Amino acid sequence: MGLSSKTSEKIAFSLLTLATLTVASFVLVILVYIILNGYGAISIEFLTEMPRRMMTQGGIYPAIVGTMYLIIGSMVAALPIGVIAAIYLNEYAGENRTTWLVEMAINNLAGTPSVVFGLFGLALFVKYFGFGPSILSASLTLALLILPVIIRSTKEALLTVPNEYRESSLALGVSKWQTIRYVVLPAAIPGIVTGSILSIGRVAGETAPILFTGAAYFLPRLPDSIYSQFMALPYHLFVLATAGTNIAKTRPIQYGTALVLLLIVLGLNLIAVLIRRHYRNKLKI
Amino acid sequence: MTEAVQNVSQSQIEVENLNLWYGEKQALKNISMQISKNSVTALIGPSGCGKSTFIRCLNRMNDLIKNCRIEGRVLIEGKDIYGPDVDAVDLRKNVGMVFQKPNPFPMSIYDNIAYGPRIHGANKKDLDGIVEQALRSAAIWEETSDRLKSPALSLSGGQQQRLCIARTLAVKPRIILFDEPTSALDPISTSRIEELIMNLKKDYTIVIVTHNMQQAARISDYTGFFLMGELIEFGQTRQIFHNPQERSTEDYITGRFG
Ligand SMILES: Nc1ncnc2c1ncn2[C@@H]1O[C@H](COP(=O)(O)OP(=O)(O)O)[C@@H](O)[C@H]1O
Ligand SMILES: [Mg+2]
Repeated sequence: MGLSSKTSEKIAFSLLTLATLTVASFVLVILVYIILNGYGAISIEFLTEMPRRMMTQGGIYPAIVGTMYLIIGSMVAALPIGVIAAIYLNEYAGENRTTWLVEMAINNLAGTPSVVFGLFGLALFVKYFGFGPSILSASLTLALLILPVIIRSTKEALLTVPNEYRESSLALGVSKWQTIRYVVLPAAIPGIVTGSILSIGRVAGETAPILFTGAAYFLPRLPDSIYSQFMALPYHLFVLATAGTNIAKTRPIQYGTALVLLLIVLGLNLIAVLIRRHYRNKLKI
Repeated sequence: MTEAVQNVSQSQIEVENLNLWYGEKQALKNISMQISKNSVTALIGPSGCGKSTFIRCLNRMNDLIKNCRIEGRVLIEGKDIYGPDVDAVDLRKNVGMVFQKPNPFPMSIYDNIAYGPRIHGANKKDLDGIVEQALRSAAIWEETSDRLKSPALSLSGGQQQRLCIARTLAVKPRIILFDEPTSALDPISTSRIEELIMNLKKDYTIVIVTHNMQQAARISDYTGFFLMGELIEFGQTRQIFHNPQERSTEDYITGRFG
């Protein structure tokens, strides 16, 4: 209480700086550690070949391809539904009980542990719809997982579009839907893209939702349809690190896999930043 | 100016016993008014008296507000715009609106103007002509003709407002509503827009809300004075300013309140 406001501001500022530095240094440490341990494993063969000898040798090509398929599959399913749901909630739904319930449901969905999604996907897509353990089942399960993220970020993006744009478009005799389509959505694209890419990061990294819905322990060939099983990077890593035939011997491959996964996610985030900047520049001055 | 006024006998807009409520609160009380074709009608009054609410009834922008209830009739060219067979979206093609804050879309100058015509199905090959025509009519062609592809938001505030007027003209309305179009602008931009509005009168019927009485006196043929949701006095601008019939009109015009 005896502190002058200047002193307390200094203390607060130092604490905040310290917290930021701590977070940043953790990220850096993890990154450096994985790069140092993993880069030796990375080579053209590692990226383009099948695993061999019970995964103690060879590459991780099918796991990379599998993860890519999951990203594409889950985005194709979740992006349109999520964006449409957000448009409905933000632009059309009134503030009533039903809307409130839907928003509650979405928030709870966002907080649900991912293994629950995995079990749900097993029950619904694998068993009930009979898609079996497959890219399709796993992609749809992941789509459910990221749906709340996409809905939320799209809603936030729509909220930042000034109401004046809507009003002046409507005042030109343009219908509400056309206004959304040609003015509101384009202005919201940077936010929507950011949300989508963040959720791609989740799709690339999650293990639990694909565990029961189609990820294969070892499958040295590429999937030939959406009904095939597949390998994926995070699960491959999990298998190598916990259940491989020779865990100690495959350490370099494990770190190599982790590094590839990390690079894919970082690369996607970078793309998100670039797309956002591109649209910012195009829309603003 | 008076001559033109006297020649115009035909009213383009007729408002009959208009009442409007926001929830329980009555914002417009029994307004009746006739607005002549090819004239400028100014609406003045202290802020919060219902001027914006009133002009937003003329293009049904209040439809967008929940809890907003309207009684009475608004006839445009003899047709009740609140009638069952009138589509508010179509109505707004005929009754354009320019807002207080210049608000171009975050697109190029060209796309801002082409926006309305494109959506209303204009032919692609006619667009260039439509855009040029609209920019010329809004007196901003000279400043923009060599930079049509640059973002509209790079223009100055006054230019942005003229761009918004051009955007409205491009849809070819017959009536244009202005809600304090110059209140965010500097004096030079303001006078350019005033000049523009007086020129537009040839082809359009204009209703303008303004908090600036000199502006009303300069550019309008008719003036209506609003106070607390009521239309206190309405008549030729000259008469309202030189010989007001109501005490409160006189007080407002002479600056005794408001
Ligand atoms: N959307 C709204 N909901 C509720 N009340 C409103 C709304 N818009 C305006 N009002 C109220 O109606 C009255 C008239 O407002 P307005 O038409 O904006 O006045 P003016 O344009 O003359 O300043 C004010 O008391 C204002 O608070
Ligand atoms: Mg107002």
